[in-house]
Amino acid sequence: MFNLIPEDWGGYVTPWVRAIAESFNCLRSLHFRRMIVRDSDLELLASTRGRVLQALKIDKCSGFSTDGLFFIGHFCRNLKTLFLEESSIIEKDGKWLHELAMNNTVLETLNFYMTYLTEVKFEDLELIARNCRSLNSVKISDCEILDLVDFFRAAVVLEEFCGGSFNEQPEKYSAVSLPQKLCRLGPTYMGKNEMPIVFPFASLLKKLDLLYALLDTEDHCTLIQRCPNLEVLETRNVIGDRGMEVLSRCCKRLKRLRIERGDDEQGMEDEGGLVSQRGLIALAQGCLELEYLAIYVSDITNSSLECMGTYSKNLCDFRLVLLDREDRITDLPLDNGVRALLRGCEKLRRFALYLRPGGLTDVGLGYIGQHSQHVRWMLLGYVGESDAGLLEFSRGCPSLQKLEMRGCCFSEQALAAAVMQLTSLRYLWVQGYRASAAAPGRDLLAMVRPFWNIELIPSRRVVDPSQIGEAVMVEHPAHILAYYSLAGQRTDFPGTVTPLDPEALHE
Amino acid sequence: MSRATVELDFFGLEKGKKFLHRQRSFREIQSAISKINPELLKSVIASGSANQKSSNSELSLSVPSSPNGDQIVSPALPVYVRNDNNNNNNILHRESTTAPLTIFYNGTVSVFDVPRAKAESILKLAIEGSSKAVESATADTQLLDNLDGDLPIARRKSLQRFLEKRKERITFVSPYACHT
Repeated sequence: MFNLIPEDWGGYVTPWVRAIAESFNCLRSLHFRRMIVRDSDLELLASTRGRVLQALKIDKCSGFSTDGLFFIGHFCRNLKTLFLEESSIIEKDGKWLHELAMNNTVLETLNFYMTYLTEVKFEDLELIARNCRSLNSVKISDCEILDLVDFFRAAVVLEEFCGGSFNEQPEKYSAVSLPQKLCRLGPTYMGKNEMPIVFPFASLLKKLDLLYALLDTEDHCTLIQRCPNLEVLETRNVIGDRGMEVLSRCCKRLKRLRIERGDDEQGMEDEGGLVSQRGLIALAQGCLELEYLAIYVSDITNSSLECMGTYSKNLCDFRLVLLDREDRITDLPLDNGVRALLRGCEKLRRFALYLRPGGLTDVGLGYIGQHSQHVRWMLLGYVGESDAGLLEFSRGCPSLQKLEMRGCCFSEQALAAAVMQLTSLRYLWVQGYRASAAAPGRDLLAMVRPFWNIELIPSRRVVDPSQIGEAVMVEHPAHILAYYSLAGQRTDFPGTVTPLDPEALHE
Repeated sequence: MSRATVELDFFGLEKGKKFLHRQRSFREIQSAISKINPELLKSVIASGSANQKSSNSELSLSVPSSPNGDQIVSPALPVYVRNDNNNNNNILHRESTTAPLTIFYNGTVSVFDVPRAKAESILKLAIEGSSKAVESATADTQLLDNLDGDLPIARRKSLQRFLEKRKERITFVSPYACHT
């Protein structure tokens, strides 16, 4: 999803589906995430368990086409939830949705958000809305909103809608009336001129997804101040410090906030569209019910993190990325701020900190170890200065089960030693580290132990098509992946993965 | 405050390609300048370091305004200018603290918006890399290991795609487009 781990790294669902087809007579709910799914898997699953299956989530998966989905539509007549979000689907036609529309009357959640399917017919969506009287949540690809007028009219109990696009003249959208109970909205490609479509029910909104909207800082302020009941907001950093201040004043019920990184290119986003310590402080002081925060900041200070430690007593999940555009950051290293945040936010279970060299010293890394009693998952990027920091860190973190690290300066030796000290650790992922000079992997031998699978993905060059259409060769640094497994070394890994072979390295 | 302003001309870029002003990953920059004339670069870095003692000079180029993505900047004759402490015959001045790294080659312009430290390490690496590149094919992977683990901040695929699509829409839509 972030193009960090190779697309074909493994994880085929076929063995799972075979076992399900054979033995799982009562399986009601199935969720595959970031796995490789084939049409044949979907066919087998649908034909054997289609009658009992009520929820199917194919989440950020790849390897299948709309042909496979046709089987789902045909056989799974009791399906209440079909979730395909962010999966890479080979699109052949829109028949699958028609098949679903013809056969299902109990669907409550339909999600093919961010799948870029274009052959789906809005008439089939309307049919689903008419047939499925409990249809509660629909998230689609970018179908023209004006084509969905009848769909909206038919979906009387719809509470959530995401997707669509606004390609026509803004005036035409005033004719669109959205379902009465709609309280979760993600209007993709909605601009300033179409925004008024939301105003009539903005005060009902509990969740707003503006990640894929075309709004600037001012628009954010205009919209957010009309949403006093907002509990969940996702948007890009175009919201700016100003938007954060509006949020702080108006949205006292805010529980979850995600602020993603907008376009780096000059002129593409609002000039005021940057979030800094100013926005963080306002947020902490105004939104006391905050439980989840994921944010990309352009500037940061220790005092803003201290402020969070003071006010954000309900915080369970905190993720901060310091963007790398600005050379100068107001206040680094963040040792004291991080310590204050960890000490103050006693409910914290998940923690991510992505900085830059100089962002956190070895002492600061030690603070994380000392003060993260209950944290189970951590993602650390560009923290610490030396192996000593990692070793100090790993003396703490008593609850840490899953550790992910990027761009750190630690040696294999220190990584292995840290793993052995982290008493709860069962999963490790590292990208960007100091490999053993003699033979990569040699110093990892110190962490070899029963049931602990160690895999290396060596650095490789990949043609990356996502950089504005040009095919550019991108270097992907080496990864270490290690995890507990009772099933022994896996056999379905691709050529890019090398399981650590202790015997080979001992030579 | 005087700044070291240098224009570089070197090899390694494809012909006839339009370059857009955007922030490039470290890897792209590396591949683009892998065959810089080492002697030229050494003198560039030397002049940059020398100026550091006297002022906050940046080892970078500057242009007053970035070229629009759709324009091809008309080629200037390749010029190498070394900044002299004694006279202020700098080609261009900028008031802001970070100037982009601009590369002119064969009628095209590339602008890389990187911090000064990165620009310096890129150039240093290119010097090391170009002398090794001829030797063996594994030179590039050696460079990779020497890199300070410089990884771009990853972005979610769906968001990346949205930003690209949005850019396409802005490029193709004009006030006079007919809505069907």
